[in-house]
Amino acid sequence: MLHRRVPCALLLAALGAACAESEASREGAAPGGEEGRHVTVQVTLDGAAVADVEVRQGGGARASFTDASGRAVVELDPAVQGERVVMASHPEARIAGVPVPDEADSVAVELRRFEPVDNPAYIFQDPGLPGGPDTTAQCGHCHATLRDDWAASPHRTAASNPTVHDLYAGAVATADSQSACLTRGGKWQSGLGPGTGAPAERCYLGDGALPALNPGCDADGACDATATARGGCADCHAPGIDGALGGRSLLEATGLAYEAGVHCDTCHRTESVDLSAPPGVSGRLRFLRPSEPSTSQALGPWRPLTFGPYPDVSNVRMGSVARDFFHGATLCAGCHEDEQPALVPGQVVNPARWPSGKLPIHSTYSEWEQGPFAPGVPCPSCHMPPDPSVWNSADLQSFAAAGAGVAGGWPRPPGAVRSHGFVGPRQRAAGLLELAASLTVEKSQVGGELTVQVTVKNVGPGHALPTGEPLRSMVLFVEARCGDEELRATGGDAIPDYGGALAVKTADEGFDDWPGGRVGEVVRVVRRTGGFRDYEGFGPFGDGRFAAEEKGLPVEELAGMATILAMDGTTAIFDGPLPEGDVAYRGEAGAFPAEGRAVSARAGSPGFAFARVLVAADGRRSVPHFLAVDVASDNRLLPQRSFTTQHRFAASCAEPVVHAVLAHRAYPLALARERGWENLESVMAEVTQ
Amino acid sequence: MTGRTWTLLLGAGLAACACGPVETASAPPPPLGSPPDAVDRDPDPDVLHVGLVAAPAVHTVGGREIPGYAYDGLTPGPTLRARVGDTVVLELRSELPDPTTVHFHGMAVPYAMDGVTWSTDPIPPGGQFTYTFTATHAGTFWYHPHFDTSGQVDRGLYGVFVVEAPDEPPLPERILVFDAWDETPEDAPSEHAHDAALPRLWTVNGVVSPRLDVPAGEVVRARLLNASNHGFLLLDWPGMVVIAGDQGLNAEPLGPGQWLLAPGDRAEVLFRVGTEPLPIATRPYGLAGLATSPPMPPAESEGKPPAEGPSDQVLFTLAPRGTTAVAPWPELPFSGEAPTPDPGTTDIVYVLSGDGAEDTWLINGESYPDVTPESLPLGTEAVLEVRNLSSTEHPFHVHGHAFEVLSVGGRPPLTRRVEDTVNVRIRETVRLRLVADNPGEWMVHCHILEHAHSMMTVLRVVP
Repeated sequence: MLHRRVPCALLLAALGAACAESEASREGAAPGGEEGRHVTVQVTLDGAAVADVEVRQGGGARASFTDASGRAVVELDPAVQGERVVMASHPEARIAGVPVPDEADSVAVELRRFEPVDNPAYIFQDPGLPGGPDTTAQCGHCHATLRDDWAASPHRTAASNPTVHDLYAGAVATADSQSACLTRGGKWQSGLGPGTGAPAERCYLGDGALPALNPGCDADGACDATATARGGCADCHAPGIDGALGGRSLLEATGLAYEAGVHCDTCHRTESVDLSAPPGVSGRLRFLRPSEPSTSQALGPWRPLTFGPYPDVSNVRMGSVARDFFHGATLCAGCHEDEQPALVPGQVVNPARWPSGKLPIHSTYSEWEQGPFAPGVPCPSCHMPPDPSVWNSADLQSFAAAGAGVAGGWPRPPGAVRSHGFVGPRQRAAGLLELAASLTVEKSQVGGELTVQVTVKNVGPGHALPTGEPLRSMVLFVEARCGDEELRATGGDAIPDYGGALAVKTADEGFDDWPGGRVGEVVRVVRRTGGFRDYEGFGPFGDGRFAAEEKGLPVEELAGMATILAMDGTTAIFDGPLPEGDVAYRGEAGAFPAEGRAVSARAGSPGFAFARVLVAADGRRSVPHFLAVDVASDNRLLPQRSFTTQHRFAASCAEPVVHAVLAHRAYPLALARERGWENLESVMAEVTQ
Repeated sequence: MTGRTWTLLLGAGLAACACGPVETASAPPPPLGSPPDAVDRDPDPDVLHVGLVAAPAVHTVGGREIPGYAYDGLTPGPTLRARVGDTVVLELRSELPDPTTVHFHGMAVPYAMDGVTWSTDPIPPGGQFTYTFTATHAGTFWYHPHFDTSGQVDRGLYGVFVVEAPDEPPLPERILVFDAWDETPEDAPSEHAHDAALPRLWTVNGVVSPRLDVPAGEVVRARLLNASNHGFLLLDWPGMVVIAGDQGLNAEPLGPGQWLLAPGDRAEVLFRVGTEPLPIATRPYGLAGLATSPPMPPAESEGKPPAEGPSDQVLFTLAPRGTTAVAPWPELPFSGEAPTPDPGTTDIVYVLSGDGAEDTWLINGESYPDVTPESLPLGTEAVLEVRNLSSTEHPFHVHGHAFEVLSVGGRPPLTRRVEDTVNVRIRETVRLRLVADNPGEWMVHCHILEHAHSMMTVLRVVP
């Protein structure tokens, strides 16, 4: 792209004030050659000498701090390329730099406090897109690599993700015509179009945050426009909605707020993080959008104010202020941590189980904070790995002819710039899932019975597995074979209901009547021992507050299964007698789960599953968080914790082969099928032994 | 064992060793010799009996005097040279102000001779200790302290330990020990990512940018060691043939052109120079991998020199001497063995985590010394899986054992590789086959020495 080769300095030269400061900065820009040269720096803040201000050479490594008289001594590093500038960084002022003339032994840096008020009139700026129109108003004009990283990231699609909108409105984006909608059993109604905010006909089906939070709002059509309770979705999914911050409808996210989701101009407007406040822009992320009128048209209507990790960025185009939280986990906690009360009006959580009145919904930050990785191994360590291919965050390698200095920054050590791809488990190419868990299989055989123990361990991340959105789960599948023969499972641990079932029945309902049953489907029966699993989970599920029974995971032993040969009305005719048991799951047979294979109904099969199971007031399980009144169980694996399952098979050979697969699932089976979402198994670990 | 190797080296017409605390900064490239062999005190040809003194020394590097430590006043220290089966006796006397030990990196020594302080005391200032063991495997190994390792190695305490195989023909040999001298945190370019910095002051055998004189046309065997604390070398050496890694000859020779030497790594290469000097450089490879550099823009702007990114750095120059006839490549006893197939099962998983921003480095979520040792019964053939989820690369090192590399990033190696230190890139998984044949409580750690203080754990091999 030719435009990327235009030096930033030349572009800034066309920007009036920006140019003036850049030119001024270059006056003392002679190369070094002054090893050991020291410069005394006098720093004032709003005209008064100020102590404890960080002072350093632009592009240099060593920091000094001013004394009570506002003075600090900086040793100039002759190895630093380009302009020789001394910077001062104070948390209440934009970083300022002054050139160091030859022979000068002292310089003065004047800092001015920025206006610490947010400006609702500010218009969020466009990050730009790879290959799209390029203007100097876009962050990506200079920060091209970071823009490209972000453009492929899940942060970009936070506000436009159709599954988020489906859950928000109770809609089905995949049914995009009236006939398709009606076929799926939905209602084709006029509502608001995601991304446009304009009236649009959509397919409404199933639960949604707006209908749940606004009972009766859909009496005369969709809730999109009539809902008054909007929830907090947009506070994190669409923080870049112009105007008032917090409490906005996700359907107000239009234009950039919709297309760009969580982008440069949202994170880097964060002045501080208040972990005690509601997530996102409702209080936890304290944005300071520029509020001081600009004195130069070239800078736009407001004097830039940007928060970032570096204390030596004095480009007026940025108006930078350094904040250490960009290096750690706190900024991520702005959204990746959420507790909530029951959101449906009139419903409450059980105060005996949840004395705070709130349920843990997203607890990734807390899982990390309470685990072995805190504080030294924060989120960016895995999710923002180093990118040694760039010289600095402003892509100086593309503008090298402009030289190193105030305009384009200085080269950073290789790897100092972090990827802004924010990869997670669903960015399969990043391979994080494969690094996250381990599987160990042990088998023993006595006579005709093969006993298999499988240990699943969270070995990689600093948070639980799975984490984040509570719809996620991790399912273990186990099978044994003698040659081509799949061995019959005779007992042991079984996949719970959240491993996917087409229908569930208890013994008192009988196991013969299966409305909707189809030939070829299977019914898997489990016995409940009466005991409960005393696992080590997150919060009260692992800190001693809950007894085993309260942890909500009854011990289910596989009893057996049968295949439906025919349906007589709603009565299933099986290929053999169903065993005695307490619960039966109607599910699917077919190929063993594998990477990229569609999620299938496997509850009751040999295996296990790990999830945070949210329960609605009507008893439905694995529901979206806006319906939750309880967390029935949460056996997700905390960092470095393991869980061992046992399985028994009827062996017909001396050396059976055991195959175990651990897969990550994005959505519960029933919900994904209802909405038509793609829902594929993502294999995290696999052992054949 | 006395004199054997010196005869060979002198016969090859080498310059005198240029290592040690004497070096000229601005003169023409100084000639480079190999570190001298340690004097063998025992006339028994099957015994190598050496005495070394570890003491403070002043190194002159790039015209700068740097206070440090040295073995017998030399950095690199004298080369210990034995043959497979020899008994090794090393008497170490310490005149250091700090406790110290000697660790024989890569060698299958008895646990009590491993030089670690997990269960044995270090040598106090003014004290001495005699290390005794049998040299069981051929290869290029090295010795260095394992007490305040990052500090003492950085100050100059290291040397090469060559164990020769009886079936390998003698060849003209050079020992090249690379070290970087601007690695200490106070010299790092950015406190936000100090460990991402590229060292800028590399030496070969203690000399900056030396000239390695080699008779034109002659085939030379070079034994390479990266003794730096955290500097990676991606050697750009046209025409080199890599014949060995950490643990003696590979199954087959490789001619890669570029070769990664992570901290602690060794390699052996054959090379032959033509009629023109040949600069040997390292690519700009840092803790996060290769720093790729786009082509420089053609013109300067506004009178300023263009900014420069990370670039190659010449380490030394091969200088042909004379007009010797082109020698044939020697016959070496490569085994030709295929890599062992990966059984697919895993006995131990090590996950490396950490971040430079906080300088925290963990194995399996734990920081040494508060670690949970893994155990293997003596004689077990185990598969170790090493996963790197951290923000830097890590040379993974196991004490007292060698391991075969089964796969790197899911791919088996081109040729059978037996190592004791293997680099694991960011988000990479490396699988290793280890035969637990040496009882003890062995250190397992990253060989970036600034990481090793915490990114270290213990592997018990239990009789």
